[in-house]
Amino acid sequence: MQKIRPPFVFDENLNSSFLEELFEGDTKYAEAVFEDFLKDLPVYWERVETAYHNRNLPILGTSVHTCKTLFGYVGFTDLQELCQQFENKCSVNSPEELRVEYILLIQRKERAQHIIEKEYARLRLFNGDKD
Amino acid sequence: MKISCIIVEDIQIAADFLRKFCEKSDLVEVKGHFLNVMDALEYLDRERVDLLFLDVEMPGANGFELLDRLTYSPMIILTTSKTEYAFNAFQYHVNDYLKKPFTYKRFLEAIGKLQQQPAEISPAQQTPSSSQTDTEFLFIKADDKLIKVRKDDILFLESMRDYVKFVTPSKHYMTYSTLKNMEEKLIGQTFLKVHRSYIVNLSKIDDIRGNTIYILGNQIPIGKGHKEDLEARLNIL
Repeated sequence: MQKIRPPFVFDENLNSSFLEELFEGDTKYAEAVFEDFLKDLPVYWERVETAYHNRNLPILGTSVHTCKTLFGYVGFTDLQELCQQFENKCSVNSPEELRVEYILLIQRKERAQHIIEKEYARLRLFNGDKD
Repeated sequence: MKISCIIVEDIQIAADFLRKFCEKSDLVEVKGHFLNVMDALEYLDRERVDLLFLDVEMPGANGFELLDRLTYSPMIILTTSKTEYAFNAFQYHVNDYLKKPFTYKRFLEAIGKLQQQPAEISPAQQTPSSSQTDTEFLFIKADDKLIKVRKDDILFLESMRDYVKFVTPSKHYMTYSTLKNMEEKLIGQTFLKVHRSYIVNLSKIDDIRGNTIYILGNQIPIGKGHKEDLEARLNIL
């Protein structure tokens, strides 16, 4: 008799209802997307850091905009909102005025990355058991 | 017939989702994916597609700059994570606006919306290699598909409560819409409303006897309030 496995449940820090709707139970695809996120985020985030250190606010805004989209696709809808607020401020604030928000953004980004690393490992395990 | 499209998007994850949704729906065929406006424009100089999935913020030129430089008018679905572009979308007569990340359900709603705004591609907008000489057509949503129908093939439309029946010589199509909606899209060309429940293609009329129009064996009544309009349009002496 075939054992019925419980569905994969996403981490509570993620918008799990959204992710369930987005992936529709396709945990293999979720694994691929999380893998891409972990590969792409460092590349895009480097642009954020470079733009901030060069005090290039237009580029900083568009770089954060890109990362914001990535966060959305892995269920960090609250972090996506934080990025949107920061992006909006890039067009009106000075680099000095953005410093506190920038540090907060880095902290949230690192926490998000850590969570997705764990989720990716969990998804690999989950999908590996299915094969 | 599927809707042909290209994806103009610099974020690979977003483009991959869109491609996956297109394939899953079996309604849209992805002809290409471009990471920036210049590459997309270069493609569109050679090939024409029915629909563009267009990101706004990309490296180099943005999506609106691409729209400024287009030499024809495909359907456009903007994909962006900013709602501030809604006004620009309105100015560019964009068909729909998808806020990233969007689900498959939302994607289907956007594709379904395209049938509310029938695409018209005039002969001037053909691809250079196309052998079609008359390319005026529209998309009808029927049987969970978007079906491309040449306007010149349509004999008449009939209102059937919440649906409109499109009648061509070979097939009938039922779409969830109103005759009024179709009237707004078609009237003024070769189509005329002749009864509260019928719009006819004037070029397909075989003959008129009394208060009845005959089109390929079909009998269409002429409403009292519409007879004068019909006579004026047909230049009846």
